Amino acid sequence: MSDRQDGNVGGTGAAAAAEAAAPGADRRTVLKGATAVGIAGFGATYLRGFRFTSAAKAAGSSPVKLGFIEDTSGNLAVYGIQKLHAAQLAVKEINEGKTLKGAPNIGAGMMGVMGQVAKDPPVISKEGTALDVVSDGGAKGRTDLVFDEDDEILIDSGDSGIMGRELSLVAADGQSNNAIWQQLARRMIQQDKVDVLVAGFASAEREAIRPIVDQFKQLYFYTNQYEGGVADANTFCTGPVCEQQVIPTVQYMVEKFGPRCYTIAADYNFGQLTAAWTRAFIPLVGGQIIGEEFIPLSVSEFSQVIQRIQQAKPDWVMTLLVGQNHHNYYPQAAAAGLRFPMASTVNMAQGYEHKRFAPPSLANMHNAIQYQLEVPTARNRAFVKRWMAMFPDDQYIGEMAQNTYFTIHMYAKAARLAGTTDQQTVKKALELGWNIEAPEGSVFLEPGTHHCAHPIRMAVCDENHNVRFVRDWPMIQAWWLQRLGVNLVRNPEYKQYTPDEDPYFKMFGNSKKA
Amino acid sequence: MDGLALLASVLYQLGTNAAFLLLCALGLIVILGMMNIINLAHGELMMMGAYTATMAVQRGIPFPLAVLLAFVVVGLFGAVLERLIVRRFYGRELGALVVTWGLSLILAQGTLILLGPFMPAIQIPGGSVSLGQYSFSVYWLVMIAVAAAVVVLLWWLYNRTTFGLEARATMQNAAMARALGVDTERIYMLTFSLGAGLAGLSGALLAPTTSIAPFMGQQFVAPAFITVVVGGATNVIAGAVGSSLLLSLVRTPVGFLFGAFLGLVALLFAALVIIRLMPDGISAYLQRWHDRRTRLA
Repeated sequence: MSDRQDGNVGGTGAAAAAEAAAPGADRRTVLKGATAVGIAGFGATYLRGFRFTSAAKAAGSSPVKLGFIEDTSGNLAVYGIQKLHAAQLAVKEINEGKTLKGAPNIGAGMMGVMGQVAKDPPVISKEGTALDVVSDGGAKGRTDLVFDEDDEILIDSGDSGIMGRELSLVAADGQSNNAIWQQLARRMIQQDKVDVLVAGFASAEREAIRPIVDQFKQLYFYTNQYEGGVADANTFCTGPVCEQQVIPTVQYMVEKFGPRCYTIAADYNFGQLTAAWTRAFIPLVGGQIIGEEFIPLSVSEFSQVIQRIQQAKPDWVMTLLVGQNHHNYYPQAAAAGLRFPMASTVNMAQGYEHKRFAPPSLANMHNAIQYQLEVPTARNRAFVKRWMAMFPDDQYIGEMAQNTYFTIHMYAKAARLAGTTDQQTVKKALELGWNIEAPEGSVFLEPGTHHCAHPIRMAVCDENHNVRFVRDWPMIQAWWLQRLGVNLVRNPEYKQYTPDEDPYFKMFGNSKKA
Repeated sequence: MDGLALLASVLYQLGTNAAFLLLCALGLIVILGMMNIINLAHGELMMMGAYTATMAVQRGIPFPLAVLLAFVVVGLFGAVLERLIVRRFYGRELGALVVTWGLSLILAQGTLILLGPFMPAIQIPGGSVSLGQYSFSVYWLVMIAVAAAVVVLLWWLYNRTTFGLEARATMQNAAMARALGVDTERIYMLTFSLGAGLAGLSGALLAPTTSIAPFMGQQFVAPAFITVVVGGATNVIAGAVGSSLLLSLVRTPVGFLFGAFLGLVALLFAALVIIRLMPDGISAYLQRWHDRRTRLA
């Protein structure tokens, strides 16, 4: 890109910061001067703890340990393997001296300013991972959906590993078992003494290990999309949350298919809380929940659930199903002739049910995602190509695998800026707020809530299981914790908020009765 | 018409719930019910059946043949297991419990190492038929029939053949059976092998509707044990049929009105109450009722 930022910033403490930021700068660094000034000014006070000395950057010391727990066996293995591969790819790239574009303090990016738009965006084939365009969607215009961007986001970091130290992945299998997760978290923190912990699929797993994380003040990244509400000074949640996904989904579905929604959700904190968000928000767009059902994770036989849905005759079904047991709902519902439009915040984008099950099991599935394999941008095609070069047998890259990938790159950038892997200092560096150019688009880590603003796209699966994106929201903030007044930089907290604690939700409940 | 459709829907739900319990329990009826071996590897035997059928279908073998193949393969595996390990634990219930638990771990983890964490499932055969606003999966309708047919065959085998007579004799009093010239070793091996084969068969039948993964068997173990224990040991086949019907009679209306979760709660609660009221299971109660009637007559 033309507007590379080089050498135009001064300041003592900020020099190293700018050095770290400069390779990450790109055309989106529209505030380039302001950014540098921002760092320079802010750095004087905030970055006092950082060690920007050459000694700290001396090569040849022991590797930086990245602790990583995911489920590579058990009910949740279908997601865990993708996430492990994402971590392996990111670690490999970091050790080869690569980094994702991005810098601290920029704020939310402006996805799509250079992108092409089209009234009918292209349809991406379900076959393979080459992202073949089945139909090009007709004439291109300037007013509709972003479907292409021309950036390469992976650039040289000017470093190998993190400050010359190799980044080493300490990975373990949680076996989809919360008790094993706790043992592994203790082992990683106390014995392996990892510099950073990236872990967690199910919310139950995260809540199982979070007390251990807090006990040892471990820098911890949770990369899943989840139900939201975790306000924990040691935890950074880099996946999208309910206000970013449920609200666009519900709005779109009510508008397109009608007001009557039937929810089936996994019976644990994620499913219960996401269903609560759906219930709380749907009256605002004129919809209503006509049925709600929570299904234990061990259930894999859905005949009765299907009959209940047929009896209720909804306009559309919200499916919040988690794990390999639950995924059998789709082929069973298709075999039983259930044909209602479906929406979700998890299915298709994570467990790639549209590739695992024969069409039309997932026909008419809608999901407001920040990422899934099919995102039709040039930067994503390049990312998928890099991934498939490393893991040629993989079938899919789900939304959380991508989160894991950019999160690890973001950690490396923050540690470089901090000049140390000391966890409290890296945490402070992260709390500058970071803009990262991820395969999904521009992501912004909001410092006060430790959550990310994401670009959101509405993905739709057709009867042949090809995918198209029919609406996009260039940047949705994770605003709910902000409204609750959470600011982890000023007031460290260690809890998870639930919709019950938000007076607004009770107001929604009343309006439903009226 | 609406009423008829609703009735069909409720009957279908009742049938699928009962068939699911019966299919889970099939192999265990023989191994736990007759041999009194607490077989904790039951789920893994079902998993082997599902894997066998899935791999066979992926290699182009028609599904019905793949199901029979699963029965044979897992049955043979059961025979080997009985010869090498299980026979050393007859009469030692707790020993058998621990050793079959160990086997289940080895089988599941071994599958994980050899075949990976999951395998693409095969498509559910057959389409759907609809009545009113409801539609029903043809495959489940067939499964209900198959479950019933297998139970009838099992009943015939144990009550109408020489093998069945010798098997019942061996289970009741092995020493006496041996004295009368029954080869009890052979009977034990065949019975265990049959139980394993049936577990493989039902694993194969359930395979298209579930995820093919090394730990998939665990989901079937609890329903299987509940069905067999609630059924009781006095007459295992009648007991299992009775308990699967009774439990789904409780589960279906609750599940239909209040959702899958409360349906499951109702099932577990019903099992609790039944075992409290009839400690020897439904079959003992049925037997007593039958005895009373014959005495009165």
